[in-house]
Amino acid sequence: MRQLGMVIDLNKCIGCQTCTLACKSQWTDRGGREFMYWNHVETKPGKGYPRDWEAAGGGWDNDKLMPGRLPRLAEDYGIPADFNFDTALFQVTDQPLRPLDALQWGPNWEEDQGAGDFPNGYFFYLPRLCNHCTKPACLAACPRQAIYKRETDGIVLVDQERCRGYRYCVAACPYKKVYFNPLAGRSEKCIFCYPRVERGIPQACAYQCVGRARHVAYLDDPEGAVHQLANVWRVALPLHPEYGTQPNVYYVPPLSPPTFDASGKPTGTPRIPDDYLRQLFGSGVDAALATLQGEIARKEEGGESALMDLLIAYRHGDMFRLSRPEEGKP
Amino acid sequence: MERREFIKSTAYCGLALAFGGPLASLRAHAAATLPPQPWEDLYRDEFAATLGDAMGYAFHCSNCQGNCAWKVYARDGMVTREEQAAAYPPIGPKIPDANPRGCNKGIVHSKQMVQADRLLYPLKRAGRRGEGKWERVTWDAAIDDIAARVVDSLQGQGLASLMVYCGTGILSQGRRAGPLRLGSLLGAQRLYPASAVGDMFTGASLAYGLATVGHTLDAWFEAKTILLWGINAAVTRIPDAHYLMEARYNGSKVYCITPEYNATAKLASNWVTVKAGTDSFLAMSLLHNLFRDGLIDRDFVREQTDLPFLVRIDTGDLLRHRDLRDQGKDDVFYCWDEASGSAQPMPGTQGHFKKSLRLGKLKPALEGAWEVKGKDGDPIPVTTVFAQARAEALRFPPERTQAVTGVHPELVGRMAKDLAGSDKAIVNIGFSLHKYVSGTMTCWAAALACALTGHAGERGGLDTENNWSLGGIGPLSSPKPARFASGFFSEWMNGGMEQTMRRHYSDAHLKEAVGLDHREIGELAEHYAETSDAWFGKPRALLLFADNMLQRNKSEAHYRRAFIEDLDLFVDVNHRMDSTALWADYLLPAKSQYESWDIRGELGYHRFCNITVPPKGLKPVGETKSEWEICLLLAQAIAREALRRGIAAIPDPDFLETKDDKAAPVMRDLVNLAEDFTDHNKLTNDEDVVRWLMEKVPAIAPWTPEDAMRHGYVTLNRQAGFTSPLYANRPFYSFEHNVYLRQPYATLSGRQQFYVDHPLFKQLACMTPTAMTPVRPKSFPLGFWTPHTRHGIHSQWRANAQLLRLQRGEPYVWLNPDAARARGIGEGDPVRVYNDVGEFQARAKLMPAVPPDALVMDHAWEPFQFRDRLGLNNVVAGLLSPLELATGWGHLSFNPNWDGNMLAFESAVEVEKCKEMTA
Repeated sequence: MRQLGMVIDLNKCIGCQTCTLACKSQWTDRGGREFMYWNHVETKPGKGYPRDWEAAGGGWDNDKLMPGRLPRLAEDYGIPADFNFDTALFQVTDQPLRPLDALQWGPNWEEDQGAGDFPNGYFFYLPRLCNHCTKPACLAACPRQAIYKRETDGIVLVDQERCRGYRYCVAACPYKKVYFNPLAGRSEKCIFCYPRVERGIPQACAYQCVGRARHVAYLDDPEGAVHQLANVWRVALPLHPEYGTQPNVYYVPPLSPPTFDASGKPTGTPRIPDDYLRQLFGSGVDAALATLQGEIARKEEGGESALMDLLIAYRHGDMFRLSRPEEGKP
Repeated sequence: MERREFIKSTAYCGLALAFGGPLASLRAHAAATLPPQPWEDLYRDEFAATLGDAMGYAFHCSNCQGNCAWKVYARDGMVTREEQAAAYPPIGPKIPDANPRGCNKGIVHSKQMVQADRLLYPLKRAGRRGEGKWERVTWDAAIDDIAARVVDSLQGQGLASLMVYCGTGILSQGRRAGPLRLGSLLGAQRLYPASAVGDMFTGASLAYGLATVGHTLDAWFEAKTILLWGINAAVTRIPDAHYLMEARYNGSKVYCITPEYNATAKLASNWVTVKAGTDSFLAMSLLHNLFRDGLIDRDFVREQTDLPFLVRIDTGDLLRHRDLRDQGKDDVFYCWDEASGSAQPMPGTQGHFKKSLRLGKLKPALEGAWEVKGKDGDPIPVTTVFAQARAEALRFPPERTQAVTGVHPELVGRMAKDLAGSDKAIVNIGFSLHKYVSGTMTCWAAALACALTGHAGERGGLDTENNWSLGGIGPLSSPKPARFASGFFSEWMNGGMEQTMRRHYSDAHLKEAVGLDHREIGELAEHYAETSDAWFGKPRALLLFADNMLQRNKSEAHYRRAFIEDLDLFVDVNHRMDSTALWADYLLPAKSQYESWDIRGELGYHRFCNITVPPKGLKPVGETKSEWEICLLLAQAIAREALRRGIAAIPDPDFLETKDDKAAPVMRDLVNLAEDFTDHNKLTNDEDVVRWLMEKVPAIAPWTPEDAMRHGYVTLNRQAGFTSPLYANRPFYSFEHNVYLRQPYATLSGRQQFYVDHPLFKQLACMTPTAMTPVRPKSFPLGFWTPHTRHGIHSQWRANAQLLRLQRGEPYVWLNPDAARARGIGEGDPVRVYNDVGEFQARAKLMPAVPPDALVMDHAWEPFQFRDRLGLNNVVAGLLSPLELATGWGHLSFNPNWDGNMLAFESAVEVEKCKEMTA
């Protein structure tokens, strides 16, 4: 089986939510999906989206599925509210423009909040989508066997004809990236834009990323950025590897400007604590950050760096390699 | 599906679903080979549906400088989706390309254009202004009544009583041309928009005679040092922000100078945590280090700046020809020539016969004190601008300014060293700095830092924002002279903002912080009104296009009352109901971004001129019309009304033209207004206008509308650069004409100017760059500033449902958690923000990124999003920066490069928890 993978460079992510809305207008602005964000960007540290997803269970303990919780619509996802445009703007009223239902949460609720104390506060952006895992908990949890992984590209899909909406998959996914469509009565999730990919057009979230943070390639493509960054340079890491699902979306971990000491002098210590990044990306994060810093230093001194050139991505189009190299080809 | 039904059907999502263990026997994770899955066509068909049956191109024309080419897909005449065209060609192999330009705002316009705040039909006010009672009327009825009332105003109150203002909601050359042309033909008042919104870079104007200078932003990639000063590029320059991180990966040091930690600070090598409004002290300390450590490119400053110019020690004035000769010139200046040991005139100044900066045999001294013989024979003691600027800078050692700015000397030292040591360095000045009185000085000092280190031309330098010189547009947008009014000053006067200034700043405080008290500022304003070339006078009839003036103006409710109370007619042409439209007499529904032909190419962040071509067969939204068509209808109706009343033309003696060798007043020809507007039927619609522009603008040649329609854009040619050629294969840098060809700058000295002896500058001791204390009063504990939001372009898209769902659905303020705790305020609590100017209510969002002595809010929420419709500008006092009222000195006289700013960040507030609003 071939696996299509994605690397998201968290240093290039500016939290603009263009990917979120590219995905929304491509797939989730209709038909009961309005509340879903197959792709979203959350600010870390934070409870994220859906709220407290990291504490909602799911995933694997070795070969045993872990129990998981279903997120709630208003409290954990957030209502896709309409607004009182008519009354607030075209009638005699003293009411301001407001959501018709008060919002309790949303996909970007904690925007730019993060943690720490001024002036040493910190935050970064974490774009999230279905990881199209190699060992998908959703797939294993489905009693209908409605979830499958495609041979040609490793994309994990919920068969919309087989699915009966039992939502075991929603609970089983430790990333909480499967959603239940109440209108269709079925579970749905990111489809890695297979209808685009099949036509040679990269995923909306990746192709439309204005920060040029996302690389897409097959993992077995030795020239592809995913293999290069994840396997050769080892600067791209899966999110929460301990969940055991073996994600195929990888992240280049975030650098951050130094903290200040009591006198206001920059310390040289990054403001995002290493411990926190280890919690998210596992123990490989130290080496990844060291490699990034080393290669940046090399460039600062006027040297060359193939890694930096890869992350710079001189041509937007070169960030995506969707053609499938023939097996055995040199 | 109905919303209620949706919520009901998902209610059972709340049940916890737990596994005791694997439910079913575990399936192999490695997928078995599966047969083709016919159901997969479900999503394939959906994708095909979003691609639709027709495609057009568009950019999003608002006060955003991004200018991004998008594909717009439509099916059955309805827009289905937009996607960045992502087709700009690379300019060279080692510069990242500009794709895919376009952000979270552009991408929701397909929703915005049909959102329920869209204006669909002409509406006429049926109650009091702002009451919310509207009557739907026909286009004919609306246009005829408006035209009659415009003619009433012109006839009864004079030509100057009409204001035709196209605000920053439309800044493109195509759609903007209609209102500009109509206003120009009628001699109507028009504000300078950049000044009205507080986006003038007066510090750059002082230095270069140009407000907008800089680079294409791909130049970031080549720079070795980048100072981002008061600019949150990751939020406000979304399409180009990638160049910053790519620059870091390319070995660049990026310093982000801003009081709050933000998305740009996150990607910087260093965050420089400057206390709000103290930037000019930091800038002076930067200069201090450069002077102290001799990090100075002496050849550059000798030739390219006025630093070698002689200054009279006795008067503080620049030494002029008139000081040495009877009837000498005012605009010839001197250096001390080390070659001849005498004072010699510097070539290239405005009054010098030699129009070149080449020094020839001159060896201008940078430091020293001498005596020259005055015209009456007495010796005049002189020194150099360099010596004066140096002495001023040495007053601000970083060890001392740290107490003011909070910036550690170590960081100042690193910035100075990196700036001086980099072959290419760029100092970006954002729109935040000139929202403080001291902004002029900060920017001027930053320009001096670039000059001292020789950063201009290909070596980088100051960047306010580069704009292209398109040329050739005059006959379209300004066929006759219009009444140009200062943006900031007119708004201040029209809104009676002196009152809120008096309320918020005590006399003593103003005197101490600004150097002038209320009376003196009042006198200065009066003097400015009398002597400046800017037009003044409150309008009586207002045709307003795409401008949210009742949202953006400071002292919001106060401004609104003062401004609209005298209006006899207020027509708002808009695609949506904004906070200004709510108060209009007539609402005329306009087309929006995808529905009208348009073209935009003046924005210099990249070199591409975008075009909007609606998808074929696009159905109109409601009864909307293009701005061009609306202006044409008005022109026709005004002509009919004038004919009916027997007024052929109104003479306008404020403007003279030559007729038969005699001076004659410009005639405002009303009966032929429609013929003049269409240039005899050559310009009948928005498409004609775009075609005219593509044909007539030299910087667009040789491209044709057909070329643009194939790709959504064309590439500008080398003529597009103001101060340098725009080369096809490398980023654009300003001032190559000056640095390499030695052409004089557009300043009095013909050089980068760092000494101004205007009496006001002398009075305020600002002859060279210096520091100015924040004007924020101590009477309220929290500084209040409102940086740009990522979820709107000012108020555009601020009420967009898609984007509000990615926020919290309603306005919130950012509070430091400690500041909130001290006031008993928790996350999400409703709060009341107040001072002696006004108040507003919002929710609290606790942000460690914000300093404890501040209340920050991303700007431009619509007043109608707040309780009682009182928006955030209600707590912002009206304030003028006295220096920006200087006029009648060299390059400092009212023009697009010298106008002032509405000051937004100099107010102080307090905040308290308040009661929840009940619906």
